[in-house]
Parts: sequence; C-alpha cells; structure tokens
Amino acid sequence: MSAITPTSTSTGLPARVWNGTGVVRLRREGAIAPIGAFVVFFVVYVIINPELLTRFQLQTAANLVVPLALVALGQLIIVLVGGIDISIGAIMSLCNVVFAVQLETMPVPVAVLLAIGTGLACGLFNGFLVAYGGLPAIAVTLASAFIFGSLAREVLDRPGGGITTEIYLATSGELLPFVPVSLVWLAVVAVLLWLLLQRTALGRHIYGVGSNMESVRAAGLNARLTKLLAFGLAGVITSLGAMMLAASTVTGDPRSGDPYLLSSIAAVALAGAAFTGGRGSIIGTILAACTLGLIGNLLFFAGVNSYWQYVISALIIVAVVGIPVVWRKAAFFAKGARS
Amino acid sequence: MTTPTPSTTAGAGTAGTPVATGPLGAAPGLADGGPGLPDGSAPSPRGSHASFLSRVPRSVWPLLAFLVLFAIGGLIRPNLITIDSLIGTATFAIILSIASFGQTIAVIQAGIDLSVPNTIGFSALAFLTLVGPLGPVGAFVAALAAGALIGFFNGAVIAKLGLTPIVTTIAMNGLLFGVILLAFNFSELTVTPDFVIAITSAKISVLGISMPAVLPLGLALMVVLQLVLSFTGWGRSLFVVGSAAETARLAGLPVDRIRITGYMLSGVLAAFAGIVIVGYYQQASATMGASYLLASVAAVVVGGASIFGGRGSVVGTVGGALVLGQVSTLVTVLNLGANIQQLIYGAIILLVISLYGRRRAG
Repeated sequence: MSAITPTSTSTGLPARVWNGTGVVRLRREGAIAPIGAFVVFFVVYVIINPELLTRFQLQTAANLVVPLALVALGQLIIVLVGGIDISIGAIMSLCNVVFAVQLETMPVPVAVLLAIGTGLACGLFNGFLVAYGGLPAIAVTLASAFIFGSLAREVLDRPGGGITTEIYLATSGELLPFVPVSLVWLAVVAVLLWLLLQRTALGRHIYGVGSNMESVRAAGLNARLTKLLAFGLAGVITSLGAMMLAASTVTGDPRSGDPYLLSSIAAVALAGAAFTGGRGSIIGTILAACTLGLIGNLLFFAGVNSYWQYVISALIIVAVVGIPVVWRKAAFFAKGARS
Repeated sequence: MTTPTPSTTAGAGTAGTPVATGPLGAAPGLADGGPGLPDGSAPSPRGSHASFLSRVPRSVWPLLAFLVLFAIGGLIRPNLITIDSLIGTATFAIILSIASFGQTIAVIQAGIDLSVPNTIGFSALAFLTLVGPLGPVGAFVAALAAGALIGFFNGAVIAKLGLTPIVTTIAMNGLLFGVILLAFNFSELTVTPDFVIAITSAKISVLGISMPAVLPLGLALMVVLQLVLSFTGWGRSLFVVGSAAETARLAGLPVDRIRITGYMLSGVLAAFAGIVIVGYYQQASATMGASYLLASVAAVVVGGASIFGGRGSVVGTVGGALVLGQVSTLVTVLNLGANIQQLIYGAIILLVISLYGRRRAG
C-alpha cells in the first residue's frame, strides 16, 4: 500500500526523480533481499567452484537459468496486477511444442512468431476471463492449465520436433568468448521490459492496478484493459522462455513446462514481490531465478548430495521472504515497548 | 473484482451467524442439533430461508451433475448403467476426494495447500519404511503425525510470519521432495502391509454389493469431516476466518490458532491419502502425489468451494470428484484419450467458476 504514493509521484513527475534514488526504488520493490541473497550465493559459488568463470561452465549455467528467469518474469507481471498464473507451465509446454513442431516445416522466423503468438493468445485468453469476466485469476488459470496442457500434448505427444544445431547456437551458444548468447537475450528482454514497466504509461498502470485497483479506476484509467494487456505480455515473455528451453535442450517436449509452474512462483516470491500486487522488481526476479536455478549445481560441485537443493531452496525462500517480516514485527514491538 | 460491496456484506452477515451460535473456544464436540443431512455449508438449522436456498445447491449441484453425466453415459452405452460401473467411478472419485479433503479445509480458511502432492508421497514412503520397526499401526500413527507436523509448519509460517499460503506451501512441497529423495531407500518399499490392504483395496460386501473397502471408508470420513465442519465451534470458526479474518480477529477469535490447526488437519488428511493410495495401488514413488497438485484443487473448485475462502464442503468435494471421475469414465469408454479428458476438466472448471466464481471477487 505504501507503494501508491511514490508510484503516482513518479508518473506525475517524469523528471529524473529516479536517477539518484535507484536504491530507494529497489528497496520499495523488495529487491534488496534477493539481490543480497544472490551476491552471497554467487560469492560462495565462485569460492567453491572457481571453474564457473570458465567459458563452458558459464554457458551451461546460463542455459540452465535463462528459461526459468524468463518464465519468472512472465509470472512477475501477472503478480504485479494482483493475479497468479497456475497455467504458466502449460503455456510454456504449449509454446515449446508449437515452436519445435513448426520448425519441422516452417522457416525459423515463422516458427518464432507462431510460438510468440501462441503465448500471446494463451495470455489473452486468461486475461480476458480475469479482466472482463471478473473471475479470480487462480481459478481461471487452474482451468486453463488443464486446457493448454492438453493442447500441448495434442500438438506433440512425445519429445521431438525439428530443432537444429543452428538454433541451439543462436540461442544457447556463445556470442563472444565468456558471453553466452542466452544471457544476452535475457538482458535484451529484461531491458525492454524494464523500459516498458518504468517508462511507459502502460507499465505504470500495471503497477497501479496491482497497488490499488479502485484508485486507478477512479483516476479514469482503463483498469480492465491494463489487466488484459498484462496477461498478454506475460504470455509473450513465457513463450520466449519456452523457446529458449526448447533450443537449449534441442527438443520440444509437451511436459517441459510442468516444473516451471512451482519454480516460477518460487522465484517471484524470493524476489520479494507482493502477491497482493503492485510490488516486485525485474532485477530481483532475474537474480532470484539465478539463485534457485544454480543451487543444484553448487551442491554438485561442493560434493553434497544434490537432492539437498530442494530443501535448501525452500529454506532460502522462507528465510529471505520471512526475515524482513520478522524484522518489521520485532521493530514494531520494540517501538511499542519504548512508548 | 467487479462488485465487492454487496457480496462482502452478505459474506460477513452469514458468517456472523455461527459466531453467535457456535460454542467457540470450547472443546469441539458434536452439536446435537443436526438431524438432517450434513448439507453443504448450512450454518445452522436456524438459517433464514433465503440463506438456506442460496447455500443448498453448492454441494447438491455437483452430485446432480454427476447423476446427469451418469445418465448420459447410459444413453451412449446402456451397459454403463450398472452397479459395477458406478462403483468403479466412485472408487476413483473417493480416492481423489480423500486426497482433496485436506485441500478443502485449506481453501475454506482462505488458503490453499500446494504441499498436498509431496505430503502424500512423504507419508506413503514414511509409512512403508516404518512398518518394519514400528509395526503397521505404529507406522500409520507416525505417518499421520508427520502430516500434522507438516501442516503445523505450513500454518505457523502462514499465520505467524504472514507469508502467502501459495508461497509457503510451494516451499514446503519443495522441501518435502528433497526430504523424500534424501531419506527413503526406494528399493525396499515393495510390500504393502495387510492391514492397509484390508482398509483400501480388499473387496468387502456392503448391502450385498461387492466394493473396495476404500469406498465406505472414504464416505465415512466424508460424513465425519462434514459433521466437524458444520456442527463444531472449531469447524464454524474455519469458515469465519476464511470469509473475514479481520472481523474474526476483532470478534476475539484465536485466528492464528484456528489457521494453524486447520493446516494441521489438512496435513493429516493428505498424509492419510498417501497411505490410502499406497494401499489401493500398492506402489509408491517419489512423484506419486504429483498428479494431485491440480486435481485436488480442481475437485474442490468443482465441488462449489469459493477459492477466496469461507465457502466449501467435503460433501461438495466428493461431488466434484465424482463429476471428474465420471468424465474420466466416459472418456475412457468412448476412447477419446487422456488429452480430451484434461480439456473437459478445464472446461468444467471454467463453467463452474463462471457460475459462481464471481462472488466476493475483490
């Protein structure tokens, strides 16, 4: 709720308010804790396994985290407008197989556009029911999870498709030494998304709808259209994650998106986003996805049974999300005791 | 998201009734005023006529829908209208119901339990592992206690730390998956104890009809849970917390304690489902609960519960599971394939939420 005032000032003053206060914004968006967690994680990782900074390992690690980071960004946009997307794994599976199957017959740009179009259509389907049907996002996306999942298996019922080595190299190879292409694509998407959310009216409306739907409507803005577009945008970003996954695994798989349902929500939670909407940052989400995505690798290199990654991920989420809450409560009680 | 005002007041009004009538805070005991069917979420026999009408359909509709689907099945294939076909569908449905009872409790109190899948897996594997050292009954109790502990942690984090139920239970689900992989040696888990087979897959005869034991067991559990939800102070307070937590707090209800015990019951029920699934299918694996993640929520939603909390019943959940089960039967008989089944599941959920998902949105 505290996000309302600063949000409206930043729309009201397109001047350089943000320039000196980037940290303030990150704090407001809850990104400090996940960034801190990532820095600690990264330092530990490099100490345990300095080999991460070699070309091969950088590339492998990047290919592992980029699909998760993109899907988590899709989930973040839904969460920003106060929703949640249970169907995001199914959308990912569907885009993944559409991309892989179309590559068998179509030229690459057509397959890419069809996959993006599929993601957009799925997002708009959910968004229309949520925004104009007035239905709860969690229930709508539960239903569409079944629907999109079944469509994905209808398109391709077992792993396959026509993904070639050229596509692998274009998405998951190296652009320059030490610069994995997948990270470049992620950076491009993240910067464009950041510009969209922070620099355009639509972006500010997305934050506004999540913070306070009534105020946005009272201000004469089209809250429903904003929600619809947010779902569409999330679908498009999810489709990008699906293509990165298909390309880096060189296969289309109708169940490839399933694990991303829970892990995308976990990444958004770790990023400090508010599930009531209106708060959450892009950089926090990306770094949260990197942390969660690489825990298994770290344990492998540390010589620990990598099954521990599930336990450790859960503890990191509860700690990073829970400690600020405990801190606030403790501060509140301390204040109460003093007065 | 469209009409918050009138529906919110209605919710608070109906939810207010049990506060006045239920002996809250007292030890939960069965109230004696329940001669009729434990129907839906009817607050008390004294509920007004309008409230009665608006509440009855919630648990009756899915049961009616099941009967209609059953009749449709008969029209397509007359040999489907047999006791055997009914029992086959009902058995599938009751296992899904048992897995969804915990979810129902979580949804009623405006939460959700996405740790159901791995609670099922954990309790099943813990049970099979502990049968050797503790004996079947000891292992059974230990597995249920583990479920209660899982639920306690869920509830404590949600109520005391204020984390979102979705995030908390996803984290718990992940944590349990790790524990399952680390703690259990899968090669040993092959023998299912007779005691569990006796209460699940063994054929017994009820009124001269042979059926798997899990069917009467699940129905008995349904009746007990519905009585607890409808007629005990604790059960009613779950609905109050689910529809208006802040109001409940101001009214002096121990909201945190109700939340935590609610999640504990949810965990115990999921653990029980794990043992039942082991007994019926006689196999266990790390991912045995995975398919219940969305299916349990689907059964609850189709059963007429509000995803926003404050509404729902275990009778409705059984109805929802029966609808999903009958769809599955029809799809199998007509040889349409599992994809079409999932598509129909999605369509049914959309239909149900468009019928009454809009209320209390906001």
